Amino acid sequence: MLTCKEFDDFMLDYLEGGLPVWQKFMCWMHVKMCRECAYFVQKYRRVITLGKDAFQSPDGMLPDYVPEELVKAALAHRRSK
Amino acid sequence: MAFAPIAVDDVKATDFIGISEPQDIDFGDGELLECLRAGEEKCFETLVRNVGPQVLATAKRYLRSDAEAADCFQDTFLAVFQGIDRFEQRSSLRTWVRRITINQCLMRIRKQVRRKEESIEHLLPAFDEKGHRIENGGISQPSTISESLDSERLRSIVREKIGELPDDYRLVLLLRDIDGYTTSETAAILRIKSNAVKTRLHRARTALKSLLTPVLEQRECHANV
Ligand SMILES: [Zn+2]
Repeated sequence: MLTCKEFDDFMLDYLEGGLPVWQKFMCWMHVKMCRECAYFVQKYRRVITLGKDAFQSPDGMLPDYVPEELVKAALAHRRSK
Repeated sequence: MAFAPIAVDDVKATDFIGISEPQDIDFGDGELLECLRAGEEKCFETLVRNVGPQVLATAKRYLRSDAEAADCFQDTFLAVFQGIDRFEQRSSLRTWVRRITINQCLMRIRKQVRRKEESIEHLLPAFDEKGHRIENGGISQPSTISESLDSERLRSIVREKIGELPDDYRLVLLLRDIDGYTTSETAAILRIKSNAVKTRLHRARTALKSLLTPVLEQRECHANV
């Protein structure tokens, strides 16, 4: 069985489906057998979701419009060049 | 690691093959593009108003101050206007503009005097001599957040914690996990090897997990009360 450290080295590829079948199986086995790594994977996945979600919030960091002065400045900036 | 500067002129439509853009806008049979190429002011204004929110949001995400994001906003549209003849329509205009925005941000970040950044080693997993994971290794930062966390507050904290990561890790995390570029696209944008992208991404996620653990545990604790 893989050690936790070896599993950690494979983890990103394992979660993204980028491993050959045998290594994938070894990782799968490790997660089944190792409570610490199973817990770690669960939290790791949660963090990925939180990261994506953080920039899609109601304020979303995506304003509905751009402040008028910024629009005007961008157009003026172009005219000046 | 020293970054090689990327000139806006390096941004070619061929860079964007395979990048999907979920929120495309209809620019109507290339009419807007023709109009932009003809240099008509009203079309530039239409473009600024249409993709401006996306440009501003992207600039705020990558840069560390609103003032810099505003400057980057202007430089991005200038680069778009100056480069519009080179746009080959292999991607959507929005995707092309987004990539130019990111390149403008990276140019700014590279020009900055590099901040002395803390190591993230203490946020990475710890293993014993037999390679067994040491539970909670490196996770000991006390949370200073005392109130119960609602979702918006949590999002704000996550953004703040991402901002605490050193740029080498933060940029990879933003490009891969937030902007959805593939490993090879991220490697091309940052001009590093794909393996370096993978290593940094894994470390960035792991460090972020450590930074967020006290917050999440507190949140779960509140939820269970
Ligand atoms: Zn393990």
